[in-house]
Amino acid sequence: MLSRILLDSLTRRLSRKALSVVAVWIGLTLVLALLSLSVDVGDKMNLELRSFGANITVEPLASAIPVDVGGHRLAAEAVPSYLDEAELLKLKAITFFWRNNILGVAPRIRAAGQAKGQDVDLVGVWFDQPVATGSEPLVTGARQVYTHWAVQGAWPTRAEECLVGSAAARRLALAPGDTLALAVGREQLTLKVTGILTSGDKDDGSIIAPLSAVQGLVHAPGKVSSADVSALTTPDNKLAEKYRQDPKALTPDEYDRWYCTPYPGAVAKQVQELIPGSAARVVRRVSETQGMVFSRTKGLIVLLAALTFVVCSLSVTGILTAAVLERRPEMALLQAIGARRADVLVLFLAEMAILGIAGGVLAALTGPLLGRWLVSLVFGSTAELHLAVVLVAPFLGLGLAWAGGLWPVWQAVNQDAAQVLHGN
Amino acid sequence: MVTTQAISVQAVSKIYPGGVHALADVSLEVRQGEWIAIMGPSGSGKTTLLSILNGLDKPTSGQIHVLGTDTHGFGPDDWAVFRRENIGLVFQQFHLIPYLTAVENVMLAQYYHSMPVREQALAALERVQLAGRAHHLPSQLSGGEQQRVCIARALINDPKVVLADEPTGNLDEENEARVLDVFRSLHAEGKTLVVVTHDPEIGCAGERIVALSHGKVSKDTRTAEGERLLSARAVTGEVREHLR
Ligand SMILES: Nc1ncnc2c1ncn2[C@@H]1O[C@H](COP(=O)(O)OP(=O)(O)OP(=O)(O)O)[C@@H](O)[C@H]1O
Ligand SMILES: [Mg+2]
Repeated sequence: MLSRILLDSLTRRLSRKALSVVAVWIGLTLVLALLSLSVDVGDKMNLELRSFGANITVEPLASAIPVDVGGHRLAAEAVPSYLDEAELLKLKAITFFWRNNILGVAPRIRAAGQAKGQDVDLVGVWFDQPVATGSEPLVTGARQVYTHWAVQGAWPTRAEECLVGSAAARRLALAPGDTLALAVGREQLTLKVTGILTSGDKDDGSIIAPLSAVQGLVHAPGKVSSADVSALTTPDNKLAEKYRQDPKALTPDEYDRWYCTPYPGAVAKQVQELIPGSAARVVRRVSETQGMVFSRTKGLIVLLAALTFVVCSLSVTGILTAAVLERRPEMALLQAIGARRADVLVLFLAEMAILGIAGGVLAALTGPLLGRWLVSLVFGSTAELHLAVVLVAPFLGLGLAWAGGLWPVWQAVNQDAAQVLHGN
Repeated sequence: MVTTQAISVQAVSKIYPGGVHALADVSLEVRQGEWIAIMGPSGSGKTTLLSILNGLDKPTSGQIHVLGTDTHGFGPDDWAVFRRENIGLVFQQFHLIPYLTAVENVMLAQYYHSMPVREQALAALERVQLAGRAHHLPSQLSGGEQQRVCIARALINDPKVVLADEPTGNLDEENEARVLDVFRSLHAEGKTLVVVTHDPEIGCAGERIVALSHGKVSKDTRTAEGERLLSARAVTGEVREHLR
C-alpha cells in the first residue's frame, strides 16, 4: 500500500515534484563538481606547480658526498664524475614502479670554457628530447621540466644552436642571432644564439647548449653531471616526516607503507636505487611549497563544497516547506483516518527520499562533467571521471532531501489537525 | 436496562486561543447504538464538539469517555490508534487524497487499520452505490460521489461509532437521500451515530436532537422516530420479561 501511495503521489503529480528534484539536481551538481575538482586538485596542482622547477635532483654519488682534502672541497669541481645518460631512461621503463609519476627528466652536463676571452659556464641539456619509453612516447628536457624558464627569442632546435643566460648575454654582449665561438680546453665549437634565457637562478649566467654538443667538448659521450626530475608526489604527512627525521624509526609496516606512497622522499629513494652510483635528493623547498598549497587549496574546495551543500539544503528546505504546507490537509486527513505521526512522517520522508535520490542520480551524471569543465578551465587539462564521486551522489541527494524535508514535515505533522480539516 | 454509554461528555469547555468560548460546560451522553443529531446556529460549537469527540482537538477542560475509554491524557498518536479501531469520520468537505482513486482512498483506511483488501474496499463502495466509480480520481467524481467515498472509507473498518460533520451540507437532494439511506442501515446495524447537521430532515431521521447554542446544550429532545423506537424497545423488553 505504501509503495502504491508513493507511486501514485509521484506519478500523478509529477510536475510538482519536478521542482524539488531540480533543486537537488542543481545543488548537487555544484557540490559534486567541487568534490571532483578537489580530488583532481592534488594531481593538477602538482602539475601546475611544476613551474617552480624540478623536485628531485639526481647526481653521481661521488659528487653528492663532499670530500674535503686539506680544506678544499674535492667534489664535482675537482674530479668530474658522471652518470650514464642511458640509465635515466629507466625512469620511464615499465619496470620502474613510479614511471607514471615521472613527468619529465632534464639531464645536464657542466663544463667550464671560454668565449670572447672570458670564462663562461657551459651547461648541456636536452631541449626537447624524444625518449623511447616502454609505453607512450615522451618528449622531455629543459623545455618540459623547467617551465619557469622564459626564453626571449627562440628555443634551439638544432645541434649547433644554444641559449644564453641573461646575465651572460649582458656580460658577453650577445643577442639572438649572434654567433658564439666557444673553447673548452683544446676543443672548439661555434654555436648560434637563438634566445636569451631568464630563469632567475644561476643558469642565467651560463651558456645552455645541447647535451650532446657539450658531451663532445668534454670527451664524455653519453655522460651527464646531474639530472633534474619532475615527479608527481604526495605531500609529506606524519609518516613521511617520521622517515625524514630517522628512517630507522619506522616499523617494517610503516616502512612498507612509506615505500609504496609517492612521497617525494620515497620516490627519490627509489630513483636512487634505480640508477647505479647515483644520489637522488628532494629539492625540499619546492616539494614543501607544492604540498602546502596543494592541501590548503584542497581544503578550501572541500569547504566550498560543504558550504554549497548547506546552501542547497536550505533552498531544498524552502521548496519542501512550500510543498508540505500545500499538503497539510492530506497529512491531517491521514491522521484523522488513523495514521500516527510517525506513519505520516515515514510516508513523506520516503517520497522525499525518492525525489532526492532522483536528483542525486541526475547530479551524478552532470556534476562530474561540470567538475571536468572546471578542471579544464582552471588547469587547462582534462580530468578523469571519479567513480567515488558518482557513487556518493545518490546518497548526498537522499541526505539533502531529508535534511531539507525533516523539519517541515515534522512541523506539519504536529499541526492542529482539526483546524486544517475544517479549512480554518 | 443497563447499557454502557458509547459517548460520555462531562463538563467539557473549549476556549480557543484568542478567548472564544466555543463550548461552555457541555455534558452529553450517547447510548450505544443511538443515532443523535447535533443542531444549532452557525458558530454554536457543533464542529468544535465533534472535533473533541474524535480527538483531533483537545478540550480546555472536562472529560470524554468513548466506548468506555477515558481519553484523558491521550496524545495525538493514541487518538490516531483509537480512531482507526473505533471511529469512522465523515467531513463536510469530503477530504479525499487527490492522487488516489476512490478504491485506493478506501484502502488507505484499511492500511492504517490492518491491511488493505481490495475486494472489501470495492464492496464498501458498492454499498454506497459507487462500484462503477471505484477507479476514478476524486477530481473526476461529483461532490455527492466524493462524499459517498468518504462514507465508504469511514465504514471500511467497521467502526462502532460514526461521527459526521454536516455530511449532506454540500449535497443535492438525491445524494442527501442516498447518504441518509446509508445512515439508516448503519443505525439498523447498531452503530452509534453522531451527525452534525443544519437540515431538520436529517435531524429528524435520528432518535434524538441535541441543540447547541452559544456553546451550551440548549435543548435535548427525542424525535418522533426516537419515541417510536423507545416504545418498540420497551415492548421488546416487556415481551422478553414476559417470556422469562
Ligand atoms: N481554531 C479556532 N480558533 C478560534 N476560534 C475558533 C476556532 N474554531 C472555531 N472557532 C470559533 O468557535 C466557535 C464555534 O465554532 P464551530 O466551528 O464549532 O461552530 P459550528 O457550530 O460548527 O458552526 P457552523 O455551523 O458554521 O459550522 C465560533 O465562534 C468560531 O468562530
Ligand atoms: Mg461547523
